[in-house]
Parts: sequence; structure tokens; C-alpha cells
Amino acid sequence: MMIHIQPGDDLPIYRQIMRQVTEAVAGGRMKVGDKLPSQRELAEQLVISHLTVKKAYDELEREGVIETRRGRGTFVAESAQLPGKAERLENLRPACRQLISKAWLSGVPFEEVLQMLGEVRDQMAAGRKSGHTARDERED
Amino acid sequence: MNILEFHNVTRAFKRGINVLDEVSFSIAPGEVVGLLGRNGAGKTTLIRTAMGMIRPQAGTVSVFGSDPAIDAVAVKQRIGYVSEDQTLPPRITVEKVIDLHRSLYPNWDENFATELLERFALAPKMRIDQLSKGQARQVALIGAVAHRPELLLLDEPAGGLDSVARREFLETAVRLLAESGTAILFSSHHMNDVERLAQRVVMLQGGRVFLDCALDDLRENYCRAIIPGGHGATPSELHHLDGFLAARQRGGALHAVFHLDPESASAGIRERLGFETSACSRLPLEEMFIELAGGTI
Repeated sequence: MMIHIQPGDDLPIYRQIMRQVTEAVAGGRMKVGDKLPSQRELAEQLVISHLTVKKAYDELEREGVIETRRGRGTFVAESAQLPGKAERLENLRPACRQLISKAWLSGVPFEEVLQMLGEVRDQMAAGRKSGHTARDERED
Repeated sequence: MNILEFHNVTRAFKRGINVLDEVSFSIAPGEVVGLLGRNGAGKTTLIRTAMGMIRPQAGTVSVFGSDPAIDAVAVKQRIGYVSEDQTLPPRITVEKVIDLHRSLYPNWDENFATELLERFALAPKMRIDQLSKGQARQVALIGAVAHRPELLLLDEPAGGLDSVARREFLETAVRLLAESGTAILFSSHHMNDVERLAQRVVMLQGGRVFLDCALDDLRENYCRAIIPGGHGATPSELHHLDGFLAARQRGGALHAVFHLDPESASAGIRERLGFETSACSRLPLEEMFIELAGGTI
């Protein structure tokens, strides 16, 4: 997997690394037993202090997402699990905030936003079969 | 033992105006500290006291337990130093500069020096005055790191360099840090570079240490509240709030920085000043620096 970081982002760099590894595991792009780059490799690749990588790896290990096997490297742990439901819901909050702000600025009442959400979902469900959504077109 | 210790370091160039005013902090082996502050805050003067180039009028500087102005040679063999205004002799070749450094340092790592010359694509036969500013700085960097110093002092090392040269400079520092556990004190106006390299930041303001904390602590446990005008919040009321650090007037609003998480800062404002503010947030280093260094209230 490729990890990338952005200094000056809302999250400190070690949290950006943690989030990407967690999302890669949760999204199935990394599987139990997959190997992560060594701390030194990742530090040189991202041009950040190896101590920052160490902090991210230590925290991920504490959360049970990864494990270090002495002399062999760092791997996705057996205990890696999807983040809890509460956390997944929380992850949606920024998108909700943005949608509600945009609707308000455009003068669209909240009820119509809810209705539109339903319509868009139906379109996406239909599009998935006929290949009409942007995402499906990209994958074609 | 600490690698570098500043204890109440005070220095004035004009009577009564302290460029450094009782500066105290220390750096442990392998620690990387970003030295922040506006122009004129005292960063360059402080770094020069660690090099023994400037002596404090009061207080002490100790490097590896010695006074850098007295044990100059012994201390400098274990230090690397690069500054923005450092100049190499213009008429000699890159090769000659490297030879000079090699003869000064018993621990000179020839392979590392050669590797860096190749990485920076520096021609050994070029004269210093034929190089670009960035290339000359790279030669200075090789001279400062190829003896694998225990302490690297960088005073605006990237000042005046283009983005590519700056990144190459950082790459070298990142490697040295990982391979040799070098402690680094570096001043920079590039906050993204500080975020990449530093574990800790020390901020100088008017020659005094205004803030000394872990970078991640500053990113996660400090926040800014924007208090719109019309609420009648006065500067003195702000000073009485828990965790208040600095504030400045921006347009009609007050920007206040708290050493609190956003939820606690909002709660304090609600309880003490009697209104809701939703505009409390954690900030990237650059924004936080501007709020703190620009604070006038």
C-alpha cells in the first residue's frame, strides 16, 4: 500500500499515517498478515522523522491493528478489526455538515435534501446495473 | 545527559535591549527541536551561542557538558552547523572544501560524503563561486554532516533555497537522524518542514521562550476560538479564562488561543462569557504560529 502525508493538514502526521493504515485494513486493501514498510523505509519515503513513524506504529500496535514480529518486521495483526459502528457514523459527520451548508446556501429546504438523498441512492442503485455512475464509468 | 543546555541565557547588543532574555531549555540525545519565532526574535543569536560564536552576558550554555566558547575544538568536532548566511571561500573547488573538512574531523565518513556529492550531483572540480546558492548550501551541508555529528545546528538552512533543494536538504537530515541518532536544533520559517522533522517546538518571542512543547501536543491539545465582535468580550476577560495563551484582533473578531481542546475552550467561553461559539478548532502549525506570534492582546 502507498501511504502519503500532507504537513499542514488538520491532522498531525502520525495520525494521518494511522488513519490510512486503519482505512486500508478496514477497506480490505490490506489483509491480516500483510507486511508494512519498515519505520526507516517509510520515514525516508515520506521525508519525515522516523520517530513520527514509530509513534504511528506504536499507537496502531496498541490498538491491535498491527503487530511487530521480532526480526521479521511489522504486519497487519489478527486482532485488526473494523472500527466500531460509532466511529464509522462519526466519519460521516463532515460530509453531512458540508451537504447541509450547501443546501442552506442554495435555499433548498432540509426535507427536499432528504428526498434528494433517496433519489440519488435509487439512481446509483440503478446505475450500478446499467453502468451510469461516474464511479462505474471509471472502473470500466 | 543532555546534549545541549541553555540556562538563563541573556545577551544584549545594546544596553537595556535583550536579544536573548533568560532563555532556558535543553535537548536530549536524538531529539529534534524546531526553533520558531519571527525575524528578530533571537533565533540566530541563540544558535550562535551554542556554537561559541557569541558569549552570553549572563547564564550558561553547555554542549556535551562543556562551554562551547572554551572547549571550542573538542565541541565543534561533534557538532555540524549550517546557516543561511554562511559563506564558503569562493575561489576554491568543492573537492577542496571537502578535503578541508575531512582534515578537521577524525570521524569523517568518506562513503557518506561521496554518496551525498553524488546525490546532489555536485561536480568536485567546480569552484564555489560557480555554484548556485542551493548547490553551495549543499556543499556546506555535506561539510556539516559527513562526520556524523551528535548535534546538528541549522539556522534557517533552507532560507533562499528552491523547493527541490529544500526537500533534498530535509531528506539528508531525515536520514542522518535515523542512521546516527543525531540531535537537531533548527530554526525555520517553513512550518511544513518543521512538521516533517521536529518532535518538539520552542518558540521565541522578544528573546524569551514563549512556548516549549511537543509538536503533537500543540497540534492536538491547543485550539483557537474566534469570538465575533458584538459580544463585548474584553481582553481582560479573556486573560481570566482557563488555558488562555494569546489573542489578537482580526477585523471585528477576536482570535484567542487556548491550551485546551476545542470542547473545553467552548465550554469555558460559554460559562465565563455567556455565549456559544462553535468556531473553536485545532490548527496546523503554520496557522497556530501566526496566531501566537501575531498576538498583541
